[in-house]
Amino acid sequence: MGNIIPWNFSVIPEYFFVFREAAFYTLQITTLGILVGLIIGLLVAFGKIAKNRVISHISGAYIFVIRGTPLLLQLFIIYYGLTTIVTVPPFPSAVFALGIHNGAYIAEIFRGSIISIDYGQMEAARSLGMPYTRAMRRIILPQAFKRAVPPLGNQFIIALKDSSLASTIAVPELLLRGRQLGSSTFMYMEMLIIVALWYLLMTSVLSYVVHRIEKRLRVSDRDQT
Amino acid sequence: MTRLKDPFLRIEHLEKWYGDLHVLRDISLDIAEKEVVVVIGASGSGKSTLLRCINFLERAQKGKFFLDGVKIKPAEKELNRVRQEMGMVFQHFNLFPHMSVLKNVMEGPVHVKGLPKKEARDIAHRLLDKVGLDDKADTYPAMLSGGQKQRVAIARALAMEPRVMLFDEPTSALDPELVGDVLKVMEDLGREGMTMVVVTHEMWFAKEAADRVIFMDDGVILEEATPEKMFTAPEHERTQAFLKQILPQE
Ligand SMILES: Nc1ncnc2c1ncn2[C@@H]1O[C@H](COP(=O)(O)OP(=O)(O)OP(=O)(O)O)[C@@H](O)[C@H]1O
Ligand SMILES: [Mg+2]
Repeated sequence: MGNIIPWNFSVIPEYFFVFREAAFYTLQITTLGILVGLIIGLLVAFGKIAKNRVISHISGAYIFVIRGTPLLLQLFIIYYGLTTIVTVPPFPSAVFALGIHNGAYIAEIFRGSIISIDYGQMEAARSLGMPYTRAMRRIILPQAFKRAVPPLGNQFIIALKDSSLASTIAVPELLLRGRQLGSSTFMYMEMLIIVALWYLLMTSVLSYVVHRIEKRLRVSDRDQT
Repeated sequence: MTRLKDPFLRIEHLEKWYGDLHVLRDISLDIAEKEVVVVIGASGSGKSTLLRCINFLERAQKGKFFLDGVKIKPAEKELNRVRQEMGMVFQHFNLFPHMSVLKNVMEGPVHVKGLPKKEARDIAHRLLDKVGLDDKADTYPAMLSGGQKQRVAIARALAMEPRVMLFDEPTSALDPELVGDVLKVMEDLGREGMTMVVVTHEMWFAKEAADRVIFMDDGVILEEATPEKMFTAPEHERTQAFLKQILPQE
């Protein structure tokens, strides 16, 4: 009877917490990567909206290149490609690759939510005599950030999963540890399922948090007027 | 063209194009202090564009603007100052949805004029009371009816203590039964001596409150007259045709 399923899932509880440190690595890469991505994203979003043609074109080019090439390639360019000039260790390579990559997507999320705000909002603020940048800060951005929350949450979940690419450059995060423990214990499937459970745990917590934030933000305005 | 001796607001030879579209053609207009001017005209005749050029939300390609006889320099800083003197009320209200009604009204005084919060709050409550909505001070705009939103929008504009109020079809997005409350507030405002330029097709408002009615046609001011004259004996054929459409037939 025991042979019908060739795996021994009863080891899962025992090995689950062996992955604690690896999970912590995954969390760190993701959090720092998202932070870098948010900073880049905000700058590039404003860059692309800017009236200055040069700045707007540079921002557009950034988004074009980053979204049009694979994250794994971007990671390799930082980790292997740059070695002739500077050696970036695995962990920071992963953080920067994830940050630079997400920066492009987050920029588009911010830009989209800013331009989705009814132009009448800017006009109403300007008609009070409010200068452009103050109107942006006080009237447009608070509304735009609210709208950016759901797609940002989605992007963070993608980033969390994408952090697994760091396994290819020897960052001891979840996926790499799964492969290592799989080969040393000869229990590949069991270890990979533990990895899956860790990812599910983290993505669920993240979605829950985003969902809560969304709900809280929705209290004040039910429509856009 | 009526040329006034000491106009509060003077517009000279205003020209506005959108690309190839010549939207305003050689508009000259004087508005006296405490005057209520109603602007009528067919859709697309340039009424909104005229209002938006007056407070520089749109930049005209040509034209001179004078406030109290002083020429307005179209520099950003100066325009921000000039806009503080002109309140604007929009067809679609454009209340700030992320702020309570009270905060909407306080926004200008606090974040443009730099008044202390307490002072601004007193002003806001007084104005909300004036438009009959002080009990809604702590609710958000989404909870209000269209007519209530528009009255809050009027209070928000008044909070800057403007010297002229511009209204762009303030009641045309409202259900008919809500129009009266808004027009009532505007009528009172005119009676208190506020200078107003009002784009509206509510003819009874024009009859009750306007000192002068302007008919715009295809980017020009075709005709201007007192409400009585405009509605009973308009000169131009185009004016007659337009009024026939919008006035109730007897
Ligand atoms: N931002 C814009 N870009 C291009 N064309 C515009 C723009 N705004 C207005 N127009 C055009 O300018 C003309 C005048 O428009 P305007 O909104 O001033 O008319 P209106 O008299 O207010 O009409 P309505 O009664 O429909 O509000 C119209 O032909 C309109 O299509
Ligand atoms: Mg209009």
